[in-house]
Amino acid sequence: MSAQKPAQSDDPIELLADSMNVWVGKLSDIVHKVIDTEPIRNVINWARMYSLWPVNITTACCSAEFGAASGARHDLERFGVLPYGSLRQSDLIVIEGTITKKMAKRLRMIYDQMAIPRYVIAMGDCAISGGLFHDSYSIVNGAHEFLPVDVFVPGCPPRPEALEHGIIMLQEKIRNSKVYPQS
Amino acid sequence: MTTTDKPAQESTLGSPSPDEPGAQTLTLSVGPQHSGSGHMRLIVELDGDIIINAEPDPGYVHRGIEKIIELRNIIRSIPVIERPSIIDASNLNHAWVKAIEELQGVEPPARGQYLRCLLNEMNRIMSHLYWLSIYGVFLGHTTMFMWPLGDRELFIDLAESLTGARITYSYLVPGGVRRDLPQGFAEEAIKRTEYFEKRLDEYENIFFKNPLFTSRAKGVGVLSRQRAIELGATGPTLRGSGVEADLRKDEPYAAYGELDFKVHTRPDGDSYSRVMVHVDEMRESSQLIRQILEKMPSGPVRRKAPIVVPRGEAYSRVESARGECSFYMIGEGGDKPYRARYITGSYRNMAAISAVLQGVRLADMPTSWWSIDYWPVEADR
Ligand code: SF4
Repeated sequence: MSAQKPAQSDDPIELLADSMNVWVGKLSDIVHKVIDTEPIRNVINWARMYSLWPVNITTACCSAEFGAASGARHDLERFGVLPYGSLRQSDLIVIEGTITKKMAKRLRMIYDQMAIPRYVIAMGDCAISGGLFHDSYSIVNGAHEFLPVDVFVPGCPPRPEALEHGIIMLQEKIRNSKVYPQS
Repeated sequence: MTTTDKPAQESTLGSPSPDEPGAQTLTLSVGPQHSGSGHMRLIVELDGDIIINAEPDPGYVHRGIEKIIELRNIIRSIPVIERPSIIDASNLNHAWVKAIEELQGVEPPARGQYLRCLLNEMNRIMSHLYWLSIYGVFLGHTTMFMWPLGDRELFIDLAESLTGARITYSYLVPGGVRRDLPQGFAEEAIKRTEYFEKRLDEYENIFFKNPLFTSRAKGVGVLSRQRAIELGATGPTLRGSGVEADLRKDEPYAAYGELDFKVHTRPDGDSYSRVMVHVDEMRESSQLIRQILEKMPSGPVRRKAPIVVPRGEAYSRVESARGECSFYMIGEGGDKPYRARYITGSYRNMAAISAVLQGVRLADMPTSWWSIDYWPVEADR
């Protein structure tokens, strides 16, 4: 006697749905592949690169240089970086310095609520490794401990020019990335 | 069809009696991810759109600085001392070196004292400008965000030529300052301060007389003179409520005793008064910079001071951009203090937040609490 087939429902609608799922899954694979081809991907990445809106979250004193970078003279908006209030419409977290244990939870919450694609820039020595406050009892030594960081901008505080360089590096990274990240 | 004799209860379930206390209020948590909150959270209780109670929730930037300065020697502590109010680094640094000098009994040379005052006043302007730009953002006035930040760079360039850093100077050290004026500094500074005063007149036209600002600041967020004193407010917040208190005048330190300046106050205690006190102070500081450069004596800028905190206790206070900043220090004879208590202007003004926000409309909340010039990093330390 041959092996029993896996139990199948007799309901025609369910059968149809099953096969549809298979087909839709395949279809979306194909669509993803098509979109990830060179010309379309370039257009999408181009759009993503120049509308990096960082969410309004300030963690410590590097925010002073972030402010200076968004203001006149440095004007981050020419790179498409416009600090924005709502995290649902934002693409970027710029971690501006020391992350206290109290703030780390909130940062993770904010990251989890943001829509993909989302990017993280760790600005300042404190956000990289604890910096000046590495031996403090109330801080997290580095953003990489709880968030995937794309670009690190060292300095205490980094000059606005350094932050601009970090943004350009992130844009470079986005230019070469896939439309559908694996994560 | 069947009928029931049960009375319709559903309709009354959702609406408790309006007389019940707390029945019609809504509690909002504003921040820390919010454009109107900064590095802190405000727990706001609303009745309609009127704030009936607002509680600040600080501590998002508490980094344990008082502990850290017990672990580093007094020179290595200087960058740590500056970080709480990075936009006002020199004034905080001044409180620190003043406490150490009091214990050591070292008196810096006269030129060093003048240079300290010079950087203090530049820092006061930079800090007020940064504050004003954020005030502009909170009001939705983008020009007032861009202009002050642009003009702040005038002084940042000056400070950079003097100290080598944009905003974190570590310029004041026990015994004096790190270095003398660079060549051509005085001419450049005079040019820039004069230009800056002209710019302040332009601000006047575009912002301070603008109904967009005045209608949302005059009579909003009133802190009466009595209440301000009771709550221990300090700095521009206190002076905005009509109290003439400024440590530069009351307890002249460094070279302030020899300088000629006015303490600006406004009587009303509303948002508008606090903003205008900042603006008057910027004018005064700009004038002070020129005066300092004119009166500056020649001579050395630094006297030798040992890296040691002698046994004893000292208390120092200075007038920072956000009010009184003080250190209480206990020395044990080592190169670190045994204990240093660090109190900043924002920390003192935290109590004023609830008082100012009571009765304010929710839409005016960001500008009202920001008019106190509360910098959360400085308050949390
Ligand atoms: S890196 Fe420096 S400036 Fe930035 S948050 Fe840390 S201490 Fe402050």
